[in-house]
Amino acid sequence: MLATRSAWAQGAPDDVRIGILFPLSGANAPVGIDARHALEVAADIINRSFDLDLPGARGAGIASLGGARVRLIFADHQSDPQKGRSEAERLITQDKVCAIIGAGLSSVAATVSVSCERYRVPFIAADTSSPSLQRRKLKFFFRPTAHDGMFSKAMFDFMDAQRASGRKIDTVGILHEDTIFGTDSSNGQRALAEERGYRLAADIKYRANSPSLTTEVQKIKSAAPDVLLPTCYQTDAILLVKSMAQLGYKPKNIIAQASGFAEQVVYDAVGDQLRGLISRASFALDLAGKRPSIGAVNSLFKARSRKDLNDNTSRQFISLLILANAIERAKSVEGTRIREALAATNIPGIQTIMPWTHVQFDQDGQNIGADPILIQYINKRFVTIFPATLAVASAAWPMNA
Amino acid sequence: MAVVTPAPVTNAAHVTHRRRQLAAGGVVLVAVALLPLFVTDIFLLNVLVLTLLYAAVSQSWNILGGYCGQISLGHALYFGIGAYCASLLYVNFEITPWLGMLSGGALSALLALALGYPCFRLKGHYFVIATIVIAEIGLLLALNLELTGAALGIQWPIGDDSWLTLQFARSKLPYVYLALALLAVTWLVTWVIEESRWGYWWRAVKDNPEAAQSLGVDIFRSKMAAAAVSAFLTAIGGAFYAAFVAYIDPDSVMAFRFSLLFALPAVLGGIGTLWGPALGAAILIPLTEVTRSYAGGSGSGLDLVLYGVLIIVVALLRPDGIVSFLHRPTRNRAG
Amino acid sequence: MQAFLQVLASGLLMGLLYALIAVGLSLIFGLMDVVNFAHGDFLMAAMYATFGLWLLTSIDPLLLVPAVTALMFVFGATVYAGIVRFAMRAKGNTGMVQIFATFGLATLMQGAAQFFFTPDYRSITESWMGDKTFDIGGVFLPIPQLFAGFLSLVVFGGLYLLMSRTDFGKALEATREDQGAVALVGIDRNRVFALGWGLGAALVGIAGAALAAFYYIHPQVGGPFALTAYVVVALGGFGSVFGALVAGTIVGLVEALTALVLPPALKSIGIYSLYLAIVFVRPRGLFGKL
Repeated sequence: MLATRSAWAQGAPDDVRIGILFPLSGANAPVGIDARHALEVAADIINRSFDLDLPGARGAGIASLGGARVRLIFADHQSDPQKGRSEAERLITQDKVCAIIGAGLSSVAATVSVSCERYRVPFIAADTSSPSLQRRKLKFFFRPTAHDGMFSKAMFDFMDAQRASGRKIDTVGILHEDTIFGTDSSNGQRALAEERGYRLAADIKYRANSPSLTTEVQKIKSAAPDVLLPTCYQTDAILLVKSMAQLGYKPKNIIAQASGFAEQVVYDAVGDQLRGLISRASFALDLAGKRPSIGAVNSLFKARSRKDLNDNTSRQFISLLILANAIERAKSVEGTRIREALAATNIPGIQTIMPWTHVQFDQDGQNIGADPILIQYINKRFVTIFPATLAVASAAWPMNA
Repeated sequence: MAVVTPAPVTNAAHVTHRRRQLAAGGVVLVAVALLPLFVTDIFLLNVLVLTLLYAAVSQSWNILGGYCGQISLGHALYFGIGAYCASLLYVNFEITPWLGMLSGGALSALLALALGYPCFRLKGHYFVIATIVIAEIGLLLALNLELTGAALGIQWPIGDDSWLTLQFARSKLPYVYLALALLAVTWLVTWVIEESRWGYWWRAVKDNPEAAQSLGVDIFRSKMAAAAVSAFLTAIGGAFYAAFVAYIDPDSVMAFRFSLLFALPAVLGGIGTLWGPALGAAILIPLTEVTRSYAGGSGSGLDLVLYGVLIIVVALLRPDGIVSFLHRPTRNRAG
Repeated sequence: MQAFLQVLASGLLMGLLYALIAVGLSLIFGLMDVVNFAHGDFLMAAMYATFGLWLLTSIDPLLLVPAVTALMFVFGATVYAGIVRFAMRAKGNTGMVQIFATFGLATLMQGAAQFFFTPDYRSITESWMGDKTFDIGGVFLPIPQLFAGFLSLVVFGGLYLLMSRTDFGKALEATREDQGAVALVGIDRNRVFALGWGLGAALVGIAGAALAAFYYIHPQVGGPFALTAYVVVALGGFGSVFGALVAGTIVGLVEALTALVLPPALKSIGIYSLYLAIVFVRPRGLFGKL
């Protein structure tokens, strides 16, 4: 009785402030702008009452904190690790955020997560998939998404299955850009190719944001691998595909490391050359049958951004829900309490929009339930083709005969 | 033709002027050192560290660019070498960053000498472009060599606070004082150079190009030495930066934008002047940080528009640099 | 062998485009000893102008080249009149002040582009040239790049005529040689400079319009092109129009061949090393007069 009266006496509870750190200007700004929309949708779902089976959707605000609303505070790190750290510290010390979600770039996630560790504030790596971030044994680092090693493994599991059913896959070609993303991805793929017995017909590292990729494409064309494994950001993906078309090169198969190949913009520009492309993914719209909340969330997102949810935005969205769920269970905005709650997270996959089995973090903060899927671009949509438990259709193979 | 060697000025007024400069320097040093008593906000202290660092590195750049007249837009190379040297020595061999700074500095100085030899034959814009492409080559090498960790960069291990490793979990004060010390050193070096043979030679060459021919070999050697000193001090700044951020990758220490950012404070404040770089940094860095932090969160790009407009306004209002507000032209001003 | 020929052909076409982007810079450099730090962003502006006009009118980008060129001419002259003219009043180290002012301009333009167009990548999805390619014995020559290369040659031819046969061209040459004397002869220096900037911007405008037909557009698209342009101008020799053509072609070829022989991530090392090698032997570049 007394507790309730004092809660009433305090009036409306303070907002729960959460820092959101992404590139909002410069070459990577598109990632940040989209992230903003995704996170605002998530905040809306938490703060207002929705009839959806998602953590925090029913009921307004964080119930255990008296209905406190989640308030997002956005900051731009301009793709620079030092600026990212400066913004993280500012968010924590000036804006008093209780957690930070970011970062759109692994190099910035590296410094931001260390700052968060030092201030004992949880950091949720929404979309940065570099495996090297894991190895630093941070206690306040949590990654709901799979990392590139897991994604590449899914790609090779799929290829093994195709090979086992009689399809010819002898050679692979690795094409990757030269930043952390490309380096980590290709390292994983190289190791898997060796381990699973695929010959490396081409292993090409190119300079990101090059004015021309013609020679690079020529090299791949000469090598003619059975499967091309590109790791590219948006800009390069468009240029790459255009260059392939201009050189009259149709790869037999493409299995992409998402990113550039998961962006609508790329398909708007060069979609007709990419029929049959397969990409690893964290998310697919056509799983709405297995994840009932997808439809509603996508509508909300589309209303703000005029795009469908994709790999990045779906992960950013769910990160906030996972965080809010932890705050709810922690009954506190204190960093270490939220951290404990995050470590104890156990959300079944069906209560998310992701194809994951569940959300559960291991002692390094990696979500072990973050099973990747593979999707294929057919008839201007993405169709889930792997794993068998979630596949909506079987793969069309090869991409180009 | 007689050799033109201006005689050193030793009259009393001049000596007093020099003493006053030192005194002014001391006052500023103490004032900045006392700032953290009044400013405790972490973000503002971070801005202070960056301002002092950029002032120091820009002052180093100024020695070569302003006084000696060789405009380099490739100083990010030395900054990066300093950062990587300190990082690699610490992460692989647990060698303290203090030694890392010195090794980075030494390596950069040697490289500057090696590069100076062919590069100083180039004039004007050709020299500038040469410095740009050399720095870009450095960036590409750092990005592709396993030695430097390639694109993955180098992460400093997270440990306890220590002056030996220059790692401090939350406090910015040690970094403030270290950056201030670096600025003091570069300022002093500049102050000494102003009155040295080099200073006189360079001013003579600027005023009278024919003097260059008669001074020939001496000029060349002095330029080489200036390049080495400038590179050495810039590299120390880079090593400091690596310890400060505790994570470096090629794009975050060797990109072209850094080369530009080392030159801009000097240009803004007054190129070839004693106080120019510090004044320029004091305006430019807080401006950059504040427009990003308080106007950048929207993602609309307006913070960049604001920043750009402000730079143009400042550049045009006082094309000779802010310092020209303060100085009457004296015989000691270079150029 | 066919791969080698393909790389050569693509490198050549790219090189002609680099030359076209560089020649505007060279002209302004040569004229007034000014570094235009926003040159890459002029390219970006031209690309956005082409994109914007295409969105509004649905006219094929091929036909938009003259309109974009004219717009960029006006823009360049305005930049001179509004910004550069004041920057040139600095008594010492005018070069650095111009770098500073044009750096501010570059930042402003990128911010404005993000504000008006959002940072999303744009491309012109329907054009007559589109993805058509000539296939000559296994060597593919994409039509948009061919068009750009052709435009480049036309422009250089036109520039040659302009500089050697017209009064304006001669005034440009004269002003470059001796700024002081020109005033005595009654040529208005400011007017020549404004027109020079306009011409320089118009030239990069042609390149931007041609590029927009096959390249994606975003606020930072100018950066890598600008860096290559600076190297081309210096390699060819500041102030030399012919030098820009030769150097651009060489750079395009060397870049493509380096990517064939080394890991493509290192391809720029080829052109940078080439620049250094040439300039250590010929300190004014290949054909530089200044």
